[in-house]
Amino acid sequence: MKNSTSKYGNKICTCCDFSELQRIREFVMTKAETLGFSSEEAQSIALAVDEACSNLIKHTFNFDTLKEICVQVNFDKNQFIVNILDEGTPFNPLDVTPQDMNEYFKNYKRGGLGIPIIRKIMDEISYLPSNNSNRKNVLTLKKFLH
Amino acid sequence: MKNQNKFEIKHQANRGIQCLNLEGYLDAHTAPKLESAIEELMKSGFNKILVNFQDLDYISSAGLGVFMAFIEEIRESGGDIKLTSMKSKIFSVFDLLGFPILFDIETNDESAIAKFLKNDLRKNEE
Repeated sequence: MKNSTSKYGNKICTCCDFSELQRIREFVMTKAETLGFSSEEAQSIALAVDEACSNLIKHTFNFDTLKEICVQVNFDKNQFIVNILDEGTPFNPLDVTPQDMNEYFKNYKRGGLGIPIIRKIMDEISYLPSNNSNRKNVLTLKKFLH
Repeated sequence: MKNQNKFEIKHQANRGIQCLNLEGYLDAHTAPKLESAIEELMKSGFNKILVNFQDLDYISSAGLGVFMAFIEEIRESGGDIKLTSMKSKIFSVFDLLGFPILFDIETNDESAIAKFLKNDLRKNEE
C-alpha cells in the first residue's frame, strides 16, 4: 500500500486484493472522524467505500493483484468527498437498476447489495469514466457533515 | 482501530443448537470463513444455528450474503439461522436494506434458544 498526498488531498493506493479492504476502511474512517463525523457515521462511510472497492476488486479486476485502486479524500465546506480511482473497464454503478428488496428477499437472492448500500449511506454519488485526457475512472461519493 | 483484520468464529453447542460466536471484522476477505463454518454444520445435519454478534465490530454486504446463501435451505429443512446480540452499528447495516424482515434477530442467546425449543415442542405436539 502506498500512502501519499496529492493535489487532491490524502490518498492511498492498494493492489486488488480483498485483504486490503481493512486498510482502506481504516484510512477512510480516520479521515472522516478527524473531520468531525461520529465513529458510527465514519464506519458507515468506510462501509460504502469498502463496497465500491470490493466491486472493483472482484468484478472489474477479477482479483488481479497487479492492478491498483486508489482512494482519495477531500473535505470541502461541509462535504466529505471520497474519490475512488481505477484504470479498469468503465462501469457506472449508477446505471444499475435499484434493487427491489421485497423481491430480493422473496427470491432469496444473494449478492448485488454493495451498490444499494452505497446509495443508502452516501448523500451524493457521481461517476466519471476514463477518457482521452484522464485514463482513470472516478467514482465520487459525498457525505454532508451536519 | 486495533485488530481490524481479525475475524474469529467460536463454536459451541447449547441444548442441541449450534452457536457460532463471531469476533472482529466480517468483510469480503473474511466472509468465506463464516460460509465454510455454516456449510460444515449443515453438511453434518445441523439445522438450528445461532449466530452471536456480540464481539463483531464490522459487517459488509459480503457478510450479509453469507446468511442469504443458507437461509432458504435451512428453513426448508425445518431449521433456522437466528442472529443475536448485535451492537447498534451492526444492526444498522442489517436494517439499512430491510434484513430484519427476513431474519430473526434476537437481543440475546436465551431468547433465540427459547424460540428454537418452543418450535421443537410445537413440532413434537403435531
